[in-house]
Amino acid sequence: MHRHNYQRILFVAAALLLVRPAAAEPSISGTVTGADGKGIADAVVFVLAPTPPAASHVAPQVVDQIGKAFVPELLPVVVGTLVRFPNHDQIHHHVYSFSPAKTFELPLYKGEDAPPVLFDKVGVVKIGCNIHDWMAGIILVLPTPHFTVTDPEGRFTLRDLPAGTYTLSAWHALSKLKPEDSAQSVQLSQDAAQVAFTLSLSAARPRRAMHGARVEP
Amino acid sequence: MRAWNDSSLRTKIFIAFSVLILAVLLATLGLTQLVVSRSVEATLGRELQTTGQVFQSLMEERAARLRTNSTLLASDFALKRVIATHFDPVNYDPATLASAGLSYRQRIGVELVWMTDEAGRLLAASPANARVKQSIARLSPLSEALESEEATTAVVQIDDGLYQVVAVPVFAPDVIGFLLLGRTIDDAVAAQLKADTGSQITFLTPTRVFASSWSGPRRNMLAVSRPQPAGPPRPYLANIDGERFLSLAMPIDASVPQLHALVQGSYDEALAPLHALQGRMLLIGIVALAAALLIGISLAAGIIRPVRALVSAMHTVLRGDLRHHAQVDRGDEIGFLARSFNEMVDGLQEREHIKNTFGRFVSRDVAEAVLDGRIPLGGERLEVSILFQDIRGFTALSEKLDPGTLLRVLNQLFTEVVAAVEAEGGMVKQFTGDGVMALFGAPQARADHCERAVRAALGIVDRLTNVNVLLQSQGVPALQIGVGLHTGEVVAGLIGPDERVEYGVVGEPVNLASRVEGLTRDLAATILISKEIAAHLGPQFLLGRAALLPVKGRAQPVEVVEVLGHQAPDNTELPGPA
Repeated sequence: MHRHNYQRILFVAAALLLVRPAAAEPSISGTVTGADGKGIADAVVFVLAPTPPAASHVAPQVVDQIGKAFVPELLPVVVGTLVRFPNHDQIHHHVYSFSPAKTFELPLYKGEDAPPVLFDKVGVVKIGCNIHDWMAGIILVLPTPHFTVTDPEGRFTLRDLPAGTYTLSAWHALSKLKPEDSAQSVQLSQDAAQVAFTLSLSAARPRRAMHGARVEP
Repeated sequence: MRAWNDSSLRTKIFIAFSVLILAVLLATLGLTQLVVSRSVEATLGRELQTTGQVFQSLMEERAARLRTNSTLLASDFALKRVIATHFDPVNYDPATLASAGLSYRQRIGVELVWMTDEAGRLLAASPANARVKQSIARLSPLSEALESEEATTAVVQIDDGLYQVVAVPVFAPDVIGFLLLGRTIDDAVAAQLKADTGSQITFLTPTRVFASSWSGPRRNMLAVSRPQPAGPPRPYLANIDGERFLSLAMPIDASVPQLHALVQGSYDEALAPLHALQGRMLLIGIVALAAALLIGISLAAGIIRPVRALVSAMHTVLRGDLRHHAQVDRGDEIGFLARSFNEMVDGLQEREHIKNTFGRFVSRDVAEAVLDGRIPLGGERLEVSILFQDIRGFTALSEKLDPGTLLRVLNQLFTEVVAAVEAEGGMVKQFTGDGVMALFGAPQARADHCERAVRAALGIVDRLTNVNVLLQSQGVPALQIGVGLHTGEVVAGLIGPDERVEYGVVGEPVNLASRVEGLTRDLAATILISKEIAAHLGPQFLLGRAALLPVKGRAQPVEVVEVLGHQAPDNTELPGPA
């Protein structure tokens, strides 16, 4: 897990470096809360519209496999992103997805030799391992590079946006809402804008294939 | 009661035995029926409960196996891949899915395989009897599995069949669909359950029978016979085609309304040993009744035969044969009766003998002495006193009175004479027309026979006074009598031919006594005694005149003394007037 966090920090730092030229622009911040008013962590907040034209180059992403788990378990990407699935365990994995947004299979492999997978269609891609039923992850393919993930208190900040009118949406793995249903319009000027989302999540029951309910001891 | 009293001994014995046997038999039969049927009911009830538990655990075991199989199958990557094709309308191919279902059916031996998408829409079915793309999300157990995302089992009706169905989510890694596996609950399952538990089992609702171990017409007579009360099911008796079955209707948790597993065991079959036992008891009862009949006949015969023999003996005795005896060869009450009868005949015979021998006028003590054998009757010499009594002037009297009056007068006199003689222990030997001859000292020897004879003579005279008072009141003249007494040695014993034998005495003193009586006329005395008598008398008698008189047939005269009466008490000291 330390390694996981470490890599995540590295990844976020790299991302910040890449968008540095826009750092001075105003940001949209806010919260995603549940019906009970508590903040929801791991919700993805993104710009639903307007969608920018496809970028000529999108930075590839990584979903690692460490300790028989996907790291990270939730990865939002912009459409057209190449994602690599290196395996840092000492055993084989067999990564697959049957999701309509991306059906793929990386049959039994070890190390970093698996070819990257191109996520070229917007949607939710649920990934699993054919060998280890409990391994589960989500790659959320978004139409925009402008997205962020809420912190444990449900707070988020969207930076690097020019002033303008945006439609924002919030998504969570346990939310039944489609992105359009949670959409909110935000007028972004020189000042920072505030947006609050409320999502009602279905009960997070211990499912055997998720969150290590039956993780190997 | 009258019919009972009038019925024969044989009938009574038979009826008594029969009533006893029937009562015991009925009581035993009733008690056995009660105890055994209760026990059978309890045992059968327990067996049914056990069968019910076995059935439930079998169903649970089947469900668990189904769950295991389906969970394993749902983890199969190929299955996941096949089910995931529904996400892509281009690749979605129900025929391929159905053939995969067929393959799974064969692989794990189930009768039904359905596959749905993650929302419960049917993707494929094998056998292909369900419409693809319809939503079966509300069908149990899928509805529960959709909710819980866990393997869920239920008993459901699909078309005409009853199925135990498991619905298990297919994870890839989230739920991408559901796999439903079903095993039929059919007659074969019921037959297997019957083979395992020994009880008939039927799966049914109030309106239809789904599966049963019954075959033939009885199958159609099955029903959950009565409304089932709340709480644990209780056994009840159901009549099927004339045979009683203890039945237990166990509700099955199913989406089929009022589905029950009806577990049944034959009550009559369980009672068969009881009925066999009762049959044998009845047989024993009939044998016992027959035995009672035979015993009654034989017991009655054992009583009736000797009774008849006794009655026959009685008739013989009645005809006068006092020597006849009943045959006695038994020691019981009948034998006692026969012996008593024989003793009675003996008594009658003795009495007859005494009467024949001594006449009617012998005193009781004399009779007893004779019967006891204290008095030998074979002939002996005895010192006796002989008394003769005679009515004076009887010839004239007999001409004067009519015969009836004459006899009455005689009988009145003789009654008193006999009483006087017997009062002194004498024996009236014979009546001599108008007189009486009596013996003292025979047959029983008595030392004071002389005094007894004299007292008897005085008694006769004394009683004559009363008789005369009576006669005179009847207009008959007073009688005058003469009494003569003598003593001497005579020969005493039984005299006469067999039929007419009687006790008697012979000897000269008898004749002389008669002569002495004859002298009373000559002396005009009432009582005369010979000097041999007088020699034996004490001073208590008042004697009168003495005379020496000749008598007929005797060379020497006889010396006689007149007896006047008893010596007065104050004259006891005075010398007699001899």
